[in-house]
Parts: sequence; C-alpha cells; structure tokens
Amino acid sequence: MSVTIIRKKKKFSDQPNFSVKKMYRPSDVKETGLAFIGHEISDDGKVMNQFLHYDQLYTIRHGWNSKFFKGLLEGKIWGTRCPKCGDIWVPIRTHCWNLDCDLEITEWIEMPLTAKVHTWTIAGWSGRSSLKRLPIILVYAVIGDSKVAIANELHGIDPWDVEFQMPLKVVFKPKEERVGAVTDFHFEPAEGWTPSPMNPEKERIKKLVEPVYEWVKTMK
Amino acid sequence: MTRRVCIVGGATTPFDYGPTGFESIEGGAAECIREVQRDIPNFSLIDVDLMIYSHFSVHFGHQLCSEWIIHDHLGLVGVPHYRVENGGNTGGSALYAAALAVKSGQHDVVGVIGWETMDSVSQSQGSEFIALASDIRYELLVGGIYPIYYAAMANKWMKDNNVNEEDVASIGAKNRNHAMDNPKAQWYRNEHKYITVDDVMNSRLISYPIKKYDCCLMSRGVAFLLVCSEEYAKKVNPDHYCTLDGLGLSSCTIRAGDRLNFPGWTKRYGEGYPEMTEFGACRASAEMAYKMADIKNPLKEIDFGEIHDAFSTSEAQIYKALGLADTENIAQFLRDEQTHMHGEIPMNPGGGLMGYGHPVGATGIMSSIECFYQLAGMIPKKHLSKKTEVPNANCGIVNSHAGTGTSISNFIMRRH
Repeated sequence: MSVTIIRKKKKFSDQPNFSVKKMYRPSDVKETGLAFIGHEISDDGKVMNQFLHYDQLYTIRHGWNSKFFKGLLEGKIWGTRCPKCGDIWVPIRTHCWNLDCDLEITEWIEMPLTAKVHTWTIAGWSGRSSLKRLPIILVYAVIGDSKVAIANELHGIDPWDVEFQMPLKVVFKPKEERVGAVTDFHFEPAEGWTPSPMNPEKERIKKLVEPVYEWVKTMK
Repeated sequence: MTRRVCIVGGATTPFDYGPTGFESIEGGAAECIREVQRDIPNFSLIDVDLMIYSHFSVHFGHQLCSEWIIHDHLGLVGVPHYRVENGGNTGGSALYAAALAVKSGQHDVVGVIGWETMDSVSQSQGSEFIALASDIRYELLVGGIYPIYYAAMANKWMKDNNVNEEDVASIGAKNRNHAMDNPKAQWYRNEHKYITVDDVMNSRLISYPIKKYDCCLMSRGVAFLLVCSEEYAKKVNPDHYCTLDGLGLSSCTIRAGDRLNFPGWTKRYGEGYPEMTEFGACRASAEMAYKMADIKNPLKEIDFGEIHDAFSTSEAQIYKALGLADTENIAQFLRDEQTHMHGEIPMNPGGGLMGYGHPVGATGIMSSIECFYQLAGMIPKKHLSKKTEVPNANCGIVNSHAGTGTSISNFIMRRH
C-alpha cells in the first residue's frame, strides 16, 4: 500500500495584519453589485434605454509606495533619492528612472515643506466630486530639490494673483481630517510673498472667474 | 524590403451625444462596413484575415470585451481578433498595429474598428472617468479632469512662445466651422452654427486659458478603416488607394510634472526638453514617420493634416512638435492662419475632435478616414461642399494623442 504524504506549503511571506483601519465612506453608500435599476422607452416605441448601476469598493494597495501616503497622515512629505545618481522625486519612484542606474532601488528622504510654482491654471469646471470647490487654483510645484513637479491646489490668494516661480509652503489639514491622500495638503504662498499689482491678464482672469463664483453659489 | 501598407476605404457612423438615433455598437460597425462596400464594391468581409478593435474604456462601455459582440455580429467567427487600448491614442495605436500586421506579411487585409459610447454616463462623470487615465494616486483628486492638466501645460507654453488666447481661439473656431461642412460631425448635427474667435473668447471658463469652445466634444461613435497589402489595394480600389508611407509611435510620462528633467529625453534632445510644455512623444514619433516617408521639410512636403485637437491649445502645441514652426515663429504662424483652408497646411478640414467629435476609441480612426478621403478625392462625395477639400492633396499627416501627451502616434499617408 502506498502512502501519499502532503507537506504543508511554506508561505512565501507573512501576511500583514491591519489593526489600524478607518472608513470614511458615507453610511448611505451601499455596495449593491451589478443591478439593472430601471428603463425608459421613447414615445415612438422604437428605442429603449436601460439603467445599470454598480458601486464597487476598491482596495488601492500602496505596497512599496506606502511610506509616502502614511507620511501624509503624519504631516510629512516623503521623497525618494537614487543612491547612485542622486536624483530626487516627489511624487516618489521606488526605482531610479535613469537607465544608466539599472533600476537602482531608491532611498526615502523627508522633504522640506517648501516649494516653487512651475506652472498653474485656474479651473472653472471639474469632475463631479470637485464642482462645489470651484474656482480652484491648480499648480504644478517643485518641492525642495525634487526633479519633478507635483500637482496640488494653491489656497490663500485670489486666483488672478498666482504667478510662475512664486515661493510656496506646504500646509497640511488638521490631523483628524487627514485621509492619507494628496488632498491632505495644499500649497499656500510662502511668508512674506505679496502679489504683484493688477495687470491686463489679471483683469482678464478676474472676468473669467467671476461667473464661476456665481454659478457655484447656485449649486445644491 | 518590407511590404507597403495601403488604405482603401473607411467610414464612420455619425458622431453624436445623447439619445438620438443610436444604432448599437455592433449595428454601427456593420453600417460603417456597408458604407465602405458602397464605396468599393469589390471589398467583401470574406477577404478580412485580421480584425483589430480600438476601444478605450470599459467604464463607458459597461461591458468587458465588447469587441466580441461586434466581431461575431459581423459574421466573423474564426478570423483572429484583438483589442488595442492606449488612451486617446487608441485609434492611432490600432492603426499602428494593423500596419505592422500587413508589413510583416502575416496578414493581407486588416479591418480596424474603433468606438466609444461616452454618453452612457453624465458629462461630468465622463470627464472624471477619462481622468482615471491620470495617475489617480497623485492627480485625480487634485485636478479631476484632463482640461486642467492641459491648461497648466498650455499656460506656460503660451507664455514661453508669445502665443495669446486669441491665437489659439482661432483654432477652436476653425475646426468647428470646418465641421459645418461635414454631415457626420457632431457639431454640425447638434449646435450647428458658425462661430467666431470672439465666441470662443466669450465661452465659459473651463481652466485658464482654456474655455468651453477650446475643448473637444464628448461623443458616441463608431469608425471602420480598411488596411491592406498593395496587392489587395490594386484589386479592390486600384484608382484611389493610399499608401501609409510613414509610421511613428512614441511615449512620455503619465504625470506631466515628471517630464521636466527626464533622463530619456535629456539624452535624446538635451536639457530642458520637453519641459511641461512641449509634446516630446509627438516630436519623436513625427521624426520616425518623417524618416520613414523621407520627409525633410514637413511644412512644404505635407499638404494637410487630421490631428488630435483635444484642445485648441494642444493643436497649436502639436504644430510645433511636428516641426511646422518653432519658438521664434509659432505666434506668427498662428496669426497668418497657416493651418486654415487658405493656409500653407490646412489642419482638421474634417472638423477634428472639436467639430467632428471625440469618441476616444474611434477618434484616430476617424482622423485616418478623413485623411484618406482627402487623398482619394472623396471629399465632394463625403462632405457637403468643396469648401473643406484640400486641392490636389498628395500627402497628409494623421496624428493621435493620449494622456497629457503620454502616447502619441503620427502617420504619413500619400495618394499612390
């Protein structure tokens, strides 16, 4: 009689345990799966439309990038640096972008909370989840000695006063409001910065932005 | 010597948005093919030995593998098929794949079908879905929609190149007015009016310096293009086929802010390029296509183009990336209306994304079809008049563009 011995498979790595867990999801959002929830038929009887609803909870697994997002909860901006070529990035890269460095694994460094505007725009329209916050000043800014610019909102000034190269500070939301996303911080002008006088471009922007303020007031 | 790639026919459904006259994606695909069969009666689906499907987003399609629905609806069981997806450059990438298939000798007759049904969700939700192609961990929550990223890039580009709002607004007006001569164009079918630069300037702010009429349309539509070997082209459309003489495809960063100092670009083009302002992938892919088609002076040798005007600002940026103008003369190039019908190199006589529409997966295919119509002398038949016909066109460029310039293809098409 032959005996088959089944050995317990060795685990490749230990499963992490998640004892800190917070859900910000509104209580009225239900994960219902796929559902056909209605239909409409045209008056001439020729065409039918059907309404499909689904609501899906995704898990974004930050994995090796986790330190950056965890840092936001703590009011810190983490960057990474290549130990070979010295390039620094926020947003971070876990491997160097320089092909001569052969995907060198980068090291984490804490970035200063100062930045400079590289370019900017003033949004008068946005995605569904941002409409009520319009107008929004969006800047691409270089934090510290980063080789790349990161996008975020600029608060604390009138939209028409934003300037190229203006110095900024990184400002975090109060700790209890942070969720570990880039919206945990925004930029504000650095101490001592003052806007330049009004000019024709600023007047033009002001004229374009005024109806946006009015429109947002009418939103429910 | 590899084989020549030819284009013998193509057609789109009318591009539209909303509940009017929608025929279903598979019905639309069938109607596009029927139109091509009316144009070239010797073409039969029996001859097709590969189908490439060009579709951007399942979020709009609410159906995984919707190409499977189209494919068997067309009666094509057994014929190989696959889908290409590459953001806004999905159509261009599908054409690239089709061209490679023919060039390699593996396939002779390749059908390319592109489609998108962006009206399956609200406009603002649709904008947010498209923005899922930005890096959602860093950009979606703070920008939210593509026009904002493009506006930030364009704002600096315009300052660096002395280009003003009116200069780019003229592109928004041009392409919409071209669409008024094209019965399949969404602008013709819906808003249906000629507009001026002032109308663009007075349209509502989307993201400074971009206004509503600087933006393309969100659309529903299907398009079909027939790509083949020269042997087959001579068989079905001997008098009016075109050759795809140059192809180029290139890539750039997903986040626009990451291209300020990228080593791959620095090595190729030197420090400070493409910055956040230029489309490096457009320049690189154009250079590939020009080299292959032996084009030395694009402004003189190319007669017209159908290019990716997602925004009037990006059409202007593309002119520069294609080498039609440089920092010194781009503003004057725009003010001289060199890309209007009366200019040196008319751009988007078919209406472009701002006039014809932008159902993402179908868009690059639509641009290729319009380019083919010009070269094959079919504009009087397909448009409402000769106003949007480029006289004696021998060489056209097709451009397809994704992300914040993240993937870009260029094609040189010639009358044979």
